[in-house]
Amino acid sequence: MAGVGVSVVVNALKTWLIPLRYGVERWSYTLQRVSGVAITLYFVAHVVETGNVVGGAGVWSVPPYEFAEMVWNETKTFLANPLFDAGLALLAFMIFFHTVNGVRLVLAHFGIILGKPTRPEYPYRAASMSKAQRGVFWLSVLLAVAAMVYALDVFFKVLQL
Amino acid sequence: MDRGEKGLQEVKFKVFRYDPDKKDGKGFQTYTVPVSKGMTVLQGLMYIKEKLDQTLSMRFSCRMATCGSCGMTINGLPRLACYTLIQELKTRTIVVEPLRNFPVIKDLATDFEEFFSKHRSVNPYLIRIDTHEQEKSNVSYTQSDEEVEKYLQFAYCIKCGLCYAACPVVATDKQFLGPQALAQLYRYLADSRDEGGEERLRPLSDGHSLLRCHFAASCSQVCPKGVDPALAIQLLRRELFLRG
Repeated sequence: MAGVGVSVVVNALKTWLIPLRYGVERWSYTLQRVSGVAITLYFVAHVVETGNVVGGAGVWSVPPYEFAEMVWNETKTFLANPLFDAGLALLAFMIFFHTVNGVRLVLAHFGIILGKPTRPEYPYRAASMSKAQRGVFWLSVLLAVAAMVYALDVFFKVLQL
Repeated sequence: MDRGEKGLQEVKFKVFRYDPDKKDGKGFQTYTVPVSKGMTVLQGLMYIKEKLDQTLSMRFSCRMATCGSCGMTINGLPRLACYTLIQELKTRTIVVEPLRNFPVIKDLATDFEEFFSKHRSVNPYLIRIDTHEQEKSNVSYTQSDEEVEKYLQFAYCIKCGLCYAACPVVATDKQFLGPQALAQLYRYLADSRDEGGEERLRPLSDGHSLLRCHFAASCSQVCPKGVDPALAIQLLRRELFLRG
């Protein structure tokens, strides 16, 4: 039974994380899932990290101001390294992509940006792969890249000559 | 066999082998096959079966993309072996594996039981309120061209299972009905002669059967008959949201 479980997990990871050979919609599927998981993990870490300033789980007994200031400064020092900055830049990409692509998925789920069923005539062109739907996908990628470049500029001054 | 054509003289077939009666498990076996112009992957496999290795198991019938029997994973994509030219693959080694998301019976033959049971579960036939009239009717149900176009492309499904093998959601959620069954459900829902309506939609609201589709649209990319299951599923979703 353990072997079956492992093969299910391996198969799941393969289908989630390897979007090769299919179209941009499969890339959208993979990026949406990976960015969703990443944003959720970031959100949890963010709440924990900022929660420490006011005493973490013991938040109901408000600690003295000096304690909060000390933790805040310690946290800032801990986070002030290029690895976390790069992570935030990557997260900027994921948040923008996830948001705009999420709107695209909602529109697609209502059939709004898809084509209409027609008689299938060779060479077949699937109406679900409409220009509008793909356009919004590329828009989400464009905005996400712009957000990432902006974040990289904030941290690493990449745009300044 | 005319081998004087431009292009490949011969290709290697790397074929997935699995025999449930043997202990050595799963693996690949490589065969060298001479190629002629217009030769399909199915013809290559039949050459192996006839000339090189009679133990190779696969399923095929019509050889003209009509029966939907010879679906297999060819160079990483689900395709019909009879509908895939060796030349169009443009590789010297062709990797042939069974369809994903289907249990393997032996070598390239897969078990379609779950797939067909999902197809049956969507009641793939016209539902009429007056069943007596449906059985004993002596009049035709007429439809306009527009009414036919709403479902015609989905009626071209040959149940080959390629969309089911391409779907990333089927791989992880067995309760998801899959692109084929859902496209057939929509085919009947969109048919102006059908009166199933809410009876068809009600079982879909459970969060798994339909709503797990995340529009990866791989199903529509691999369909050999021009059916667009991804479109059918989104239109079905809209119906569920608006009417369910």
